[in-house]
Amino acid sequence: MGANAHTRWWTEGPVGTIVLDNPPMNVLSDENRRGIREALAEFRDAGARAVVLTGAGERAFCGGADLKEEEELTAETVGKFLKAGDETFRALREYDRPIVAAVNGWAMGGGLVLALWCDVRVGSTRAKLGAVGVKVGLMASNVQLSRLLFESRARDLLLTGRTVEADEAHRLGLLSSVVAPETLMDEATAWARDIAARPPDLVAALKRAVNTALDPAAAPSRR
Amino acid sequence: MEIVEAAGIRVAVVAGACVGPDFERALEVDLRIAGDGARFSTAGVADPVACGVRLARLLGEARAKELILAGRTVDAPTALRLGLVTRVVPGSALGATAQALTEQLRALPPLALAAARDAVRATRDLTPREALGLEHEHFRRLIATRDHKAAVAAFFERRDAAFTGE
Repeated sequence: MGANAHTRWWTEGPVGTIVLDNPPMNVLSDENRRGIREALAEFRDAGARAVVLTGAGERAFCGGADLKEEEELTAETVGKFLKAGDETFRALREYDRPIVAAVNGWAMGGGLVLALWCDVRVGSTRAKLGAVGVKVGLMASNVQLSRLLFESRARDLLLTGRTVEADEAHRLGLLSSVVAPETLMDEATAWARDIAARPPDLVAALKRAVNTALDPAAAPSRR
Repeated sequence: MEIVEAAGIRVAVVAGACVGPDFERALEVDLRIAGDGARFSTAGVADPVACGVRLARLLGEARAKELILAGRTVDAPTALRLGLVTRVVPGSALGATAQALTEQLRALPPLALAAARDAVRATRDLTPREALGLEHEHFRRLIATRDHKAAVAAFFERRDAAFTGE
């Protein structure tokens, strides 16, 4: 169990839970980035077998980068900013237990990246996904959407930055189930418990295998 | 079928039959939308093999094979399910929908839009590390642009931004 100014985390049985709590939009702060990494390390020591990641409140899962923080970036500091984000995303991606995102509201920009780097996503009927990078003149979630969807649909979302509501996200496969807001945490925890009930070495091997299955580097010609 | 262009993004607007050479042209553009009376078929394409490769990248293996192997004609709802088109509207609303989409594209910052268009196509051939490297390269360049700063200012002032492509 732990917390910092914008993040809370705890374990219950085999499931670790992380809550981003930076109201009103849960924009991704340094405390969140640090908190996610600390929580995952703690969960590993505690023997957690699956993780649920969600946002506090009903408005947002994660609103992405803090535009005020982003506005102050210079040519010197932008590298550090990208690296900090990457370390957090990679921590989720390479963590050897699956991570279930409970998408309780907006997941946009860097917040969408965060959700897409999780292994399974479930959403409430209030979930809204937006690859909004292009709208603010930047680029985000291009790598993730290009992997999770094929080119036709990835391009539709990335070129328009349009909002994808929960039902459409379910049809596209970006959400694995959609439930009423009051049952979202039960739904996410049920997924995590099902995962936790399976042999952990097998689950870890499956996550690794699927993560790299589509990598050109994994193809025989590139080995 | 009509192909319209806005801010360097090409959109295929399919009202009726999209067959043969039209089908091939539709695969080459960035976005595809259709009216509910649209029909699609790979029959009569000049290079079926190239079409198969393009379809696999656009839709995935299962959906590409569903379209190309038996050469059946598919209707608009099926095209939407396959992801061949990403929007279907009543035929009578197609012109207005295309118009709205091109206006939406023209209202976006052009440098970020072009970067997104190029990066999606490149990404599937890259390793994740290379792809992230490419994304970071774009990000570093874009964050220094006037348009990005204009977008952030407009966001905080709750108004639309005007972009210059700088």
